[in-house]
Amino acid sequence: MHLPQAACDSRRWWADLADVWRDTRLIVLTAQIAAIYAAILIPFKAGIPIIPGFVELRPANAIPIVASLLFGPAAAWGAGIGNVIGDCFGTLGPASVFGFVGNFFFGYLPYVLWGHLGWLSSGQPPLVKSWRQMVEYGVVCVIASAACAGIIGWGVEWLGLLPFVILAPAIFFNNIVMGMFLGPPLLGFLYPRVQLWRLRYEDIRQSGSSSFQPSSPPRTHDSLFKDVTSENLSYSILDCRGLSFQYASDSKPVLRNVSFSLAPGEMVVLLGRSGSGKSTLCYACNGLIPHLVPGVFSGTMRVCGRDTVEDPVWKQAGRVGLVFQDFDTQLVATTVEGELLHPLEYRDPPLSSEEMQQRVVHALSRIGLEDCTYRDPMTMSGGQRQRLVMASVLVQEPPLLVLDEPGSDLDPAGRAQLREVLQNLREEGITVLMTEHDDGQLAHADRVLVLDQGEIVWKGKPETFMRHPQLMRDWGLRPLALTECFEGLSVGRLPISVQEAWTRADALNLILNPPASVLDDTLRLGEMPACLRKMALPLIHVEGASFQYEDQLVLEEVSFAIQPGDFLALLGRNGSGKSTLARLLNGLLMPTHGRIVVDGLDTSATSMNELAKRIGLVFQNPDHQIFADTVWEEVAFSAKNMGCSEHEIAVRVQEALAAVGLPCEGSHDLDPFSLRKGERQRIAVASVLATRPTVLIFDEPTTGLDTDETNRMMAMIRELNQQGHTIVMITHSMRLVATYARRCLLLHGGRMIADGTPREIFADTALIRAASLEIPDISLFSQRWGHTLLTVEEVKASLLPGPP
Amino acid sequence: MNVSLYLSSKTWVHRLDGRTKVLTVLGVFVLALCFSHPLYLLGVFGFVMGGLAISRAGANVRKAWMLTALLFCYSVALWPFFVEGLTPVPLLNRLGVTQEGVMVGMGMGLRLLIMLWGGIWLLSTTTVEELAQASQQLGLPSRAGFAFSLAFRWVGMLLGAGVGVVQAQRSRGLDVSTGGLLQRIRKYVPLVVPLIGHALRQTNLLAMALESKGFHPSSRRHFCSTGQLMLPDYAVICVMVVLVGVSGWLRWIGVGVLDIRF
Repeated sequence: MHLPQAACDSRRWWADLADVWRDTRLIVLTAQIAAIYAAILIPFKAGIPIIPGFVELRPANAIPIVASLLFGPAAAWGAGIGNVIGDCFGTLGPASVFGFVGNFFFGYLPYVLWGHLGWLSSGQPPLVKSWRQMVEYGVVCVIASAACAGIIGWGVEWLGLLPFVILAPAIFFNNIVMGMFLGPPLLGFLYPRVQLWRLRYEDIRQSGSSSFQPSSPPRTHDSLFKDVTSENLSYSILDCRGLSFQYASDSKPVLRNVSFSLAPGEMVVLLGRSGSGKSTLCYACNGLIPHLVPGVFSGTMRVCGRDTVEDPVWKQAGRVGLVFQDFDTQLVATTVEGELLHPLEYRDPPLSSEEMQQRVVHALSRIGLEDCTYRDPMTMSGGQRQRLVMASVLVQEPPLLVLDEPGSDLDPAGRAQLREVLQNLREEGITVLMTEHDDGQLAHADRVLVLDQGEIVWKGKPETFMRHPQLMRDWGLRPLALTECFEGLSVGRLPISVQEAWTRADALNLILNPPASVLDDTLRLGEMPACLRKMALPLIHVEGASFQYEDQLVLEEVSFAIQPGDFLALLGRNGSGKSTLARLLNGLLMPTHGRIVVDGLDTSATSMNELAKRIGLVFQNPDHQIFADTVWEEVAFSAKNMGCSEHEIAVRVQEALAAVGLPCEGSHDLDPFSLRKGERQRIAVASVLATRPTVLIFDEPTTGLDTDETNRMMAMIRELNQQGHTIVMITHSMRLVATYARRCLLLHGGRMIADGTPREIFADTALIRAASLEIPDISLFSQRWGHTLLTVEEVKASLLPGPP
Repeated sequence: MNVSLYLSSKTWVHRLDGRTKVLTVLGVFVLALCFSHPLYLLGVFGFVMGGLAISRAGANVRKAWMLTALLFCYSVALWPFFVEGLTPVPLLNRLGVTQEGVMVGMGMGLRLLIMLWGGIWLLSTTTVEELAQASQQLGLPSRAGFAFSLAFRWVGMLLGAGVGVVQAQRSRGLDVSTGGLLQRIRKYVPLVVPLIGHALRQTNLLAMALESKGFHPSSRRHFCSTGQLMLPDYAVICVMVVLVGVSGWLRWIGVGVLDIRF
């Protein structure tokens, strides 16, 4: 029997409320519940007003009850704060105080009452599966709703704003309807996941009380900084010896006996597949492991001569600056200046205002954001936000900067800016350790370490590594295309730059003379699908489509057509209008001018359901759509929405799972949230395929995937294309475009600036540079002979001995 | 997605200390509670609207006037049914509506408007960080202020993610605008679960991110801004103290107050 909530000691209920403010995770959870409550409160309305303008049936009203049963007192504070934030969109006033108190109790009473209702208590976890749980939930819901309605209703009448008899029943009705009807399914979905992520209140309390204890008393930032400047800095900034770590939730170690060190001013790239332990090693650099992540830890990690287990994480910010892969999680303020001041304002002992300002100015100039001091970070591009996070850790002036996959979410322009910033930091003497799963920053590093299954399997000069394509393949990395082109030829050292490749070609007296099979794309793409050969009528017609959002023209006068069976790549830097165009194609957005016709239907006059049968859109983040308990239910969701029969649904789910290479067996029991990102992405594709669409649109399908996962995903997309699906793919990877696309549309500033085959597009160097994109090295190499080749296979088939 | 009502401008109101602005708005709320007669409340309403004008908050006025007008109408329409009076209103006499009730309705409607526009004035001229700093300086716990500003920052991100979730589910044929009440409520599950899941999946990461940047619940925050009140701050606070004092005295002697009986 499991009693999940407060113990019988009633005094603990009050102590719990204070405890929330003593634990970082509970503070984060409080803020998250507040943000979730406000974010659902604002846009999601059931469209049924109770008192129009005052009280509307809103799904958000189920959140305090559900959160309370999962997160205890954090939900109480979160619901109260969330309600005040909701008021900040136009209704902030004295009544907000009563709104805070009412919602506080709405979010606290369920936690207090569950399991303490005497004979009414079910003695079971807070789910609504048995009739006893249902009764207990009902009683809890009624009491909490009544308390909330009573407090707010009384307060608002006391202020003289609205009579109690009008407002209180309306609030009660709203709370009870949402609590009773939406609460149980939400609990059913969320409880197992929250348990899986160990986020229930009692899990956090337990892990908090058993967290890693330092062996010596914590010190101030200043005393830590003295270590940095002392003589022990001369040998290494970071020294890792025999480090092993196993997550509490895993059965085998993620790091095994890892040893390496970093010299001052060195730039080291850590390479490896997804799951090889790269991020774990980053977290160990500033003591997040073992202080905040439970698991078995052994070995030593010393930074600036100080063992990372000896000081709490927050006191190591002056020694190690860590930038996460998901850098947006590190943004906490609404202005750039606030973002940089935040870490300085928590320093102990405090810095003077002048020094804080100086550090902010210096950090912004280091990363090239001097002109953005008062901007809202959320209005900046991904690359700018990442550099802002770098500045916010550099403002503490740490000698070591650790970057976890900094290039994975950036477009080519963002990656180029990152390279420039890293080069500047290197010149300033900052030591940099960064992880990658491709060759993005290799050429600029001093050293490379390769991690595989938690062990360092190779270390040495990047140049040596890059000149050995087989070595890169062995460790799950994609070799440089140019080295692959010369692999097997007697050239001595394989080339790693275009210039070197030309020199090797000259030395071997090779010229490039592509055969017809290269130039007509049959080598690269295989035989053209029958539907294309027949020159069928276009499947999609975009006629002068424009889209304006508020005052901003996002897309301007775009016209093109897509043939059945085509494989189209949408190219352009971030903000060029690619995603908007994709959403216009499937009818999520309507053009403000012009029109879009899909399979003979004007999207402006056709329902989403009808369009969904023809066009499926696979979003970049699969977690934005996955909600069901099982893989089967998730894939079946769209077919159910289409009104298919049970038999038809079963057939479609089997078909879709087979198409994405996932087994049908076990899909009835498999929780999609327990799978890796690549697999969740496949489930998202399968779910879209269950509507049997003719056209599939993929929005950056390989973001965050390593080489193996990317290859599997792209093989699946090519297979779907060969089965007859028309493919539209948004991507920043020019390599994927060169390998898979039949045709490209190039967007820049909302306008279409080119429409052609990848060969035609990459042949125009000026055009590509104008759009802030990068030409693949292979294409640059081949342009010396007046051709634009796209793949290694094409180059290999075209390299011939030149005239003597 | 930007969700803040803050309007960046260089007016002298924007330059006031956060504490001054919070205290001024609290003073306005007290002024509104001192009176119940519509004429006196109209004066306070004019004061608030003047504040909005000199703060160049017209954009927010345009955004919110419809909602506030609707709320004013409710108050005017509802209160007369709950207030007793002696002077009946022709045609509405059968419903028990009296002129005193209408006066109360108008007064309470104006009080509501003053409070709402006062809140909008504060949010139009004060950033979330300023509010957090002011609340700490006025004695509220700093960690609560930090959680508030953190949540405010994440609302924008979650609203952005929410748009993605809605689009993803609509693309799969979900239509929340059809069906009965129960059906419609159930259809929100595919919208709410991914959004909450998306947020909760990041909880541990967010806590790690905060501590990595030097935050800890036990450490006290020392704001960069010195927080010194300047001459305009003292002048505004003095004006508000005088206004509140005079209004309190007027209420004490019964001026500007309606005799309300329920």
